[in-house]
Amino acid sequence: MKLTLFQRALSTLLGPGGFLWRPEDLMLYEYDALSSQRVPDAVAFPTCTEQVVQIVKLAARENIPVIARGAGTGLSGGAVVTAGGVVVSLARMKRILDIDIENQRARVQPGVVNLDLSLAASDRGYFFAPDPSSQKACTIGGNVAENSGGPHTLAYGVTTNHVLGLKVVLPGGDVIDTGADFWGRPGFDLTGLMVGSEGTLGIVTEITVRLMRKPEAVKTLMAIYDRVPGATRTVAAVTARGITPAALEMMDGFTLRAIEDATHAGYPMDSAAVLLIEVEGLREEVEEHAEQIESVARECGAREVRHAKTTEARDLLWRGRKNAFGALGRISPNFYVQDGVIPRTRLPEMLEHIEEIGRRYNLRIGNIFHAGDGNLHPLLMFDARDKDQSGKVVRAAQEIITKCVEMGGSITGEHGVGMEKNELMPLIFSAADLEMMRRIKNVFNPGGSFNPGKVLPSGKMCGELRVQVGAGD
Amino acid sequence: MMSGIEPMRAEIEAIVGGGSVVSDDAVCRTLSADGCVPKSVVYPRTAEQVAAVLKCAADHTLAVIPCRNATKLGLGNIPARYDVALSLRKMNNVWHYEPEDLTATVEAGMKLGELARLLGRNGLWLPLDPPGGARASVGGVLATNASGPLRLLYGAPRDMIVGMTIATTDGKIIKAGGRVVKNVAGYDLTKLLIGSHGALGVMVEAHLKLFPLPAGRATFIFHVASLDEARDLRKRILQSPLNPMRMTLLNAEAGKVVWEDEAGARPGSTMTLWVEAGGTNRVLERYARTLGAIGSAAGAKVSTMEQGTAERSWARMVDFQSWLAEEFSDAVILRGSLPIAGCEEFVNRAQQGADKTKSRLAVFAQPGVGTAHLCYLDPSDYSAIVSTIDNLRAAAKELHGALLVERCAPEIKQRLDVWGAPGNDFEVMRKVKHAWDPKGILSPGRFVGRL
Repeated sequence: MKLTLFQRALSTLLGPGGFLWRPEDLMLYEYDALSSQRVPDAVAFPTCTEQVVQIVKLAARENIPVIARGAGTGLSGGAVVTAGGVVVSLARMKRILDIDIENQRARVQPGVVNLDLSLAASDRGYFFAPDPSSQKACTIGGNVAENSGGPHTLAYGVTTNHVLGLKVVLPGGDVIDTGADFWGRPGFDLTGLMVGSEGTLGIVTEITVRLMRKPEAVKTLMAIYDRVPGATRTVAAVTARGITPAALEMMDGFTLRAIEDATHAGYPMDSAAVLLIEVEGLREEVEEHAEQIESVARECGAREVRHAKTTEARDLLWRGRKNAFGALGRISPNFYVQDGVIPRTRLPEMLEHIEEIGRRYNLRIGNIFHAGDGNLHPLLMFDARDKDQSGKVVRAAQEIITKCVEMGGSITGEHGVGMEKNELMPLIFSAADLEMMRRIKNVFNPGGSFNPGKVLPSGKMCGELRVQVGAGD
Repeated sequence: MMSGIEPMRAEIEAIVGGGSVVSDDAVCRTLSADGCVPKSVVYPRTAEQVAAVLKCAADHTLAVIPCRNATKLGLGNIPARYDVALSLRKMNNVWHYEPEDLTATVEAGMKLGELARLLGRNGLWLPLDPPGGARASVGGVLATNASGPLRLLYGAPRDMIVGMTIATTDGKIIKAGGRVVKNVAGYDLTKLLIGSHGALGVMVEAHLKLFPLPAGRATFIFHVASLDEARDLRKRILQSPLNPMRMTLLNAEAGKVVWEDEAGARPGSTMTLWVEAGGTNRVLERYARTLGAIGSAAGAKVSTMEQGTAERSWARMVDFQSWLAEEFSDAVILRGSLPIAGCEEFVNRAQQGADKTKSRLAVFAQPGVGTAHLCYLDPSDYSAIVSTIDNLRAAAKELHGALLVERCAPEIKQRLDVWGAPGNDFEVMRKVKHAWDPKGILSPGRFVGRL
């Protein structure tokens, strides 16, 4: 098979090991954790900003779309190819350039794995706060693209709250530096605009992040409930006491049992729901908060409140939570993870609603919530070989998201819009809102060559989830 | 010469009502910016009116500066043009307040003081203590991303605003972000608008993320003999397990402004490092113990302060600009923004320079955040202060930071760019400005690069 002109140019630029072009290799880059769409024309592995610039310029000359990619763990199709083009994998730009403890920051290349940064800063007592469930695999560049969250965003915020500055390659090949090594550089907050722009405004090749000091004490509690409303009431009651836990997670009985079968984390097999609650800070504070939370949970009907006594016990509880998706994969041929947000006080109502949707569509739906900030992850089980069921899953998911919006919430809390939800954007944004976003996009990416078909609606389809569920399995 | 907005007056009056367009010179002067007096002040009552006024202004290329209490009108370069002061003082509504969700939606004209009273009833607050204090409006604080010492624990406005409504120069009302505390749908226009200094659109309402008030507070004061000692203390405190809410370093001159004039309480001629902690008594006792140990290790004396006195002192520290302006009407105020490690050295350079020129310099620094406000109380002549600014700008740059001129006479502003030179992202900023405000009617000439 002959290389195209573009592929030959890439080969000259990056060397034979620096790009992929054989169909069997390219197939691997058809997917992210949501779905697949099209095979790219080439995958390039730059090792520095200058190579990214050259790739971008080459692609611009040939009019070829450019899709930046981290580890491909995204859950909204952000890194999926929609119209052909070159995938720029940042996997080989994985150096931690600088860890500066006194200034509480680190400078990293985008391919650095999220957890690796925390591990690298760990012996000096610091960590990188955003902690998506995929943190062992996902990259910081991907976190920046999707503005990723995680369980501990309740106290610490999402990725955008931890990014100080970026080096960005724009679609024309120009390089800009946004933000600074310090807070409060004057000018429009282009860093804030870039974070969460899902590769449609530029390719980030260097990231300056904030590091946080590890807390003196951490306590993890598991409150176990025989009835779901007790758990949701506890969430509101904890907030009402003026306590902001570092994390406040909820799992329903169905999900718990699946996790326990797979992980043996010690989750109760017979309960209706559990809350996983973590408090961090000064020893004195943590003790006080843990006591208050335990009493609140009992008042709200928890049958038992367990304390993780050791680091191992704590890690085990979290391992269960973070491996939940994998665990569900064992009991169902396929599942579709949704990501919606509601005001946290509407949790009880929302849970009933999800249950009703499950009944109506005859689908099993597991629930894992970042309950503390009202971020829901319903998991819809199905068998992709059953076309009828696959259709029902998408319709059911769409109903859940629509309900989130009706309650004053959002269509995504941390997974991003990608190509899954761009046609849903009109549910929460008016034509005027979207027009102002489009103007921003046109400043950066007027030709639409960077990650086409993402974030903003095409206007061709009306208001539907755009996903072929199970296509990736 | 056609004066002001007279030809368009009827049009604007039709939007906001006759009584809400004021061209009285005395009123206009209260909203002057760098000596430029607007020709009229317009007081819209609704988002729709703001949008319609902007549309009208764009149609007739009238320059508009949004404002409220004028606490921040001195920020920025001299306006290129200034026709209309768009005052949001009549927009103070609370549209939505859900204490249990820790969210609220308020109009941009609401003052922080009023907001604090409302939220305080439920044990909540918006933990911001920007310049202007209680008189600062939500809109002004967001437009300038203004923060104060509380930034140490809680961050800046950009970290606690989850969404907003914006009136655009096309006369549209658009929504950015949402009401829920976690939301990553679409481009984060909220971040773009926060800190945009009124150059892109007018924020008419904001969705706020609220926080529980601390159970109690305590203030600890270190008497610091030198900047080296201040640096040592800052390092020890930041490396300790403590999470203080605020930490402010004052030089002796600043101490005079802040310190309550009570017998025996005067700081004398030393610098002081003020640390405020929040929590229950048990937690505050822990702060006392650990800070005491840190003080002993660093060789600095620590004292505590009665809570009422402490609160009044913090209020002065937060709103030092206003306190200074009363006595020193010509004071020049600079802000250095630096990586944390460079803060004390920056202050050192400023202090040395001031000693050399025998200038009275009050320093209010946030060493845990990396900002330092330098207040030259009685600048002698314009050339001298311009050269001081140049020197400090070079020093800030060398320390990988930047220097911003927050307050000075228009005669000084004519000789410099208050923001400093823009970076390699300026071309993008220019295009963003043009995309949102193609006629250049919003705060023209004031922002970075004279946008």
